[in-house]
Amino acid sequence: MAGFLDSYASTITFMALTGVFAYSFYAVLMAGQLSLAQAGLASAGAFTSSLVVPAAPLFGVIPRLVVGIAVGMAVGAALAFLLGLPVMRLRGVFLAIATLAFGEVVRILLINQSWTGGAQGLSFPKLVGIPEAWLALAVVAYWFWRLGGSRLGRALAAIREDELAAKAMGIDVTRHRMISFVTSGAVAGLYGVLLAYFVRFADPNAFGFSTAVDGLVTAVVGGTTLFIGPLLGSTFLTWLPELQRAIGVEAGWIRPFVSGLLLLLVILFLPGGLAALIPHRRRRAMAHPDAPPDLPPLPAPGTPIASLRAIRKEYGGVHAVRDVDLDIAAGEIVGLIGPNGAGKTTLVNIVSGLVPPSGGEGTVVGIPLGSGVPAHRIALAGVSRTFQQIKLFNRLSALDNVLVGAHRVSRPTLLRRMVLLPSARRDEKRALGQAFAQLTRVGLADRARLPAGDLSYGDQRRLEIARALAAHPTLLILDEPAAGMNHVEAHRLSVLIRALAEDGVTVLLIEHNVRMVLETCTRVVVLDFGEVIAAGDPATIARDPRVVEAYLGAEDDQAEPA
Amino acid sequence: MRRLSGSIAGAAVLALALSACGSGNTATTGGGGGTSALKGTGTGDTCKITTPIPIGAVFSLTGAAASYGESQKKGLELAAEELKAKGGVTYDVKIEDDATDPQQGIAVFEGFVTKDKKSLIIGPTLSNTAKQTDPVAQEGKTPVLAVSNTAAGITEIGDYIFRDSLTEGAVIPQTIKAAKDKFGLSKVVVMYSNDDAFTESGYQAFKKALDANGITITKTITFSKSDTDFRAQLAVAKASAPDALITSALIEAAVPLVTQAREVGITVPIIGGNGFNSPKLMAGAGKAADGVVVGAAWNSASSGAENAAFLTAYRAKYSADPDQFAAQAYTGLKLVDAAVRAGCSGEREDIKKHLAELKDVPTALGKFTMSATRDADTPAVVQVVESGKFAVLK
Repeated sequence: MAGFLDSYASTITFMALTGVFAYSFYAVLMAGQLSLAQAGLASAGAFTSSLVVPAAPLFGVIPRLVVGIAVGMAVGAALAFLLGLPVMRLRGVFLAIATLAFGEVVRILLINQSWTGGAQGLSFPKLVGIPEAWLALAVVAYWFWRLGGSRLGRALAAIREDELAAKAMGIDVTRHRMISFVTSGAVAGLYGVLLAYFVRFADPNAFGFSTAVDGLVTAVVGGTTLFIGPLLGSTFLTWLPELQRAIGVEAGWIRPFVSGLLLLLVILFLPGGLAALIPHRRRRAMAHPDAPPDLPPLPAPGTPIASLRAIRKEYGGVHAVRDVDLDIAAGEIVGLIGPNGAGKTTLVNIVSGLVPPSGGEGTVVGIPLGSGVPAHRIALAGVSRTFQQIKLFNRLSALDNVLVGAHRVSRPTLLRRMVLLPSARRDEKRALGQAFAQLTRVGLADRARLPAGDLSYGDQRRLEIARALAAHPTLLILDEPAAGMNHVEAHRLSVLIRALAEDGVTVLLIEHNVRMVLETCTRVVVLDFGEVIAAGDPATIARDPRVVEAYLGAEDDQAEPA
Repeated sequence: MRRLSGSIAGAAVLALALSACGSGNTATTGGGGGTSALKGTGTGDTCKITTPIPIGAVFSLTGAAASYGESQKKGLELAAEELKAKGGVTYDVKIEDDATDPQQGIAVFEGFVTKDKKSLIIGPTLSNTAKQTDPVAQEGKTPVLAVSNTAAGITEIGDYIFRDSLTEGAVIPQTIKAAKDKFGLSKVVVMYSNDDAFTESGYQAFKKALDANGITITKTITFSKSDTDFRAQLAVAKASAPDALITSALIEAAVPLVTQAREVGITVPIIGGNGFNSPKLMAGAGKAADGVVVGAAWNSASSGAENAAFLTAYRAKYSADPDQFAAQAYTGLKLVDAAVRAGCSGEREDIKKHLAELKDVPTALGKFTMSATRDADTPAVVQVVESGKFAVLK
């Protein structure tokens, strides 16, 4: 073993360092962001640390490397924050290009500075060996392991799966993306410092585009949905050349060819990365979930929940919603019906804060509507919703979907999880209890472990409702929840909705199934061409001639869409 | 599908695990251990060592610097063949690839030093890789002979690091001196790419040599190694009417730079660093290359019996002309042989001792002496392009 450690000391160290670098990509990929700035951030961290690392331990006790790491991580995080301010609004390939450009800017800048040695590079003392590198990797891996099951970790995964749905569950998407960005910067800075103080030399050209791509490949090959992924990726890619050398593959083109081929196989057959090979650990707590926690009481029946006055929305020249007045009081089940294109979805998007109104005034759960009000604020204030097109976090389990829904009513646990405080575990169990109660409520408790994307259409509809309920909403908005359900299922849903109302939840229901609306709701509002053409109790609406003309005349065709 | 993917990945993981176990066993079977197997009897040409001397070579056979590494490999293999035919002392040369990646270079160096117990390591191809790999050998007390590193700060890494490649700092003063004698330079414009270690150190050497020769630099213009359009900078250069244009650039930039300089009407001599020392210059720039002055560590037109023999043997084996990289790698192993024979020992310490004492060894690079700082002391060749060919500047 000692001989092995000696002969492969550098490979073993690189395995750890490459792993750390891959974690800096994992940090953003887990939130669905493709950033390529990490090489530049690592470079900035490494060179800045060279300016401050003292010749002897600081104050005689703080090791030199610790000083370097602290500064490198701080520089990486700070630069990532500054970069994040302008680029955080970008997505996908645009974000990748912007961050790539940033990395190039850093490289050009550093190469033209005399304190970095320019293209000649800079020598560093050797302060890193196997123990330091692996300790750093262990700390980073531990961080991401504990992050995984925390409220923050779930929120990041939710953003990765569906940003809009995450927003609707009360997650501040911009802030969370920035958190992942800054974390990535800090880890990248750590990598830069460790690398420079291990290989004893760094030049700005070594932190270019190809370095960034290498890091990205390592993270993706390992897998971006499980904390162990980057470690697997670095194991795979670090040992591949060594392995080929050991089994005597002739030096030359055949080696990169074989490496490329294996990489291709992994990507083709393991889209989830090497981490997909690891069987999912079952959560022990699920056998005996706690009872749902005591949550603050919902508003007393009759309390005003939403009040809209002359609300308008125009898209170009199209008036999707015109001068709509709408009042919803606690305890009501308000049905919103109207033909296709009547403006129903636009109206609920306004109510839930996803779309700012073009004109008019409105207050929802105490929050005034307007362009400056982010959707997550309204969600946090107590508005929860489902979507016409199902928006689940498909790769997360049904239970995790509902746990994200509980974001609003659970407390941050990451820092307490880091130090293994029992109170964090209690909070997690409480959130689990809340989530399980909702799954049971919609009849999905036995499918809690399945990925949401694998559920049947009807189950996905019900899961969305469970997720919305987990937020303990004051106002629950259901956008065509019965679409695709048969008579029996629609009836069960109707029973569930009335039971919710009895528990004090106010419901705004959009539905094409008019029979169901009439049987469920306490009040019905009819929209046509963006205007309210009738409102009242179900019996009155069913007889209103304007409604019959505009909409109910087609009841036979539309009552039960296929 | 799921099963297939599982088994493929399973196989990959298994293979990794196996390699981790297997490699432990292959360690320490080399000729190390400090026994006398590597010591022989006799001295010089009569030296006889029964065990082949284990030599490791690290070149960039793939990746960005692959074209250099390929030449080095050919030169080295030719030398090993010739030494084997000569007999007495043979060499077990293991050539490894660093894939132009310093991390792999470090791993290979470590294997050579610790596991394979090589008596000496030749390489690596690039200077910036050497700055990361050579400390590993220095710590492991394994001599290294660099055969292509030209940057400053390589042999300073430690007393086990040697090189046979002339630095820019050694070639360029001779180039400037010869050019001054020939063209009577008094003021020049300097252009260089400042984002490459090699060209940047070339610039430093030029500046020092120009100052030493009392030549005024009227303008210093920088560009990036990836640039291809220099017309704007060349117009600025032309405006100050220099006696010569001094450039430090890689061949990729050198070709368009020289071509465009002639286009904008710069007719004075263009003096280049080692980056210009490539047949690609004439192939790419054509007639525009005429009048370009290049200093080099080696030129095929150099005189000397060793160089003539090298050229003949190389052409016979590879049916192609060698370049400077092949010549330096070829010479490298010949120098190692000279050091081994001097002490009739393939032990690391003995090779180190006798490499440092090499003096006036006739080689393809000319008469070779190892300087006190373990650097090459050989004459540079100052060439000028005439009718599309390098000729010695007289």
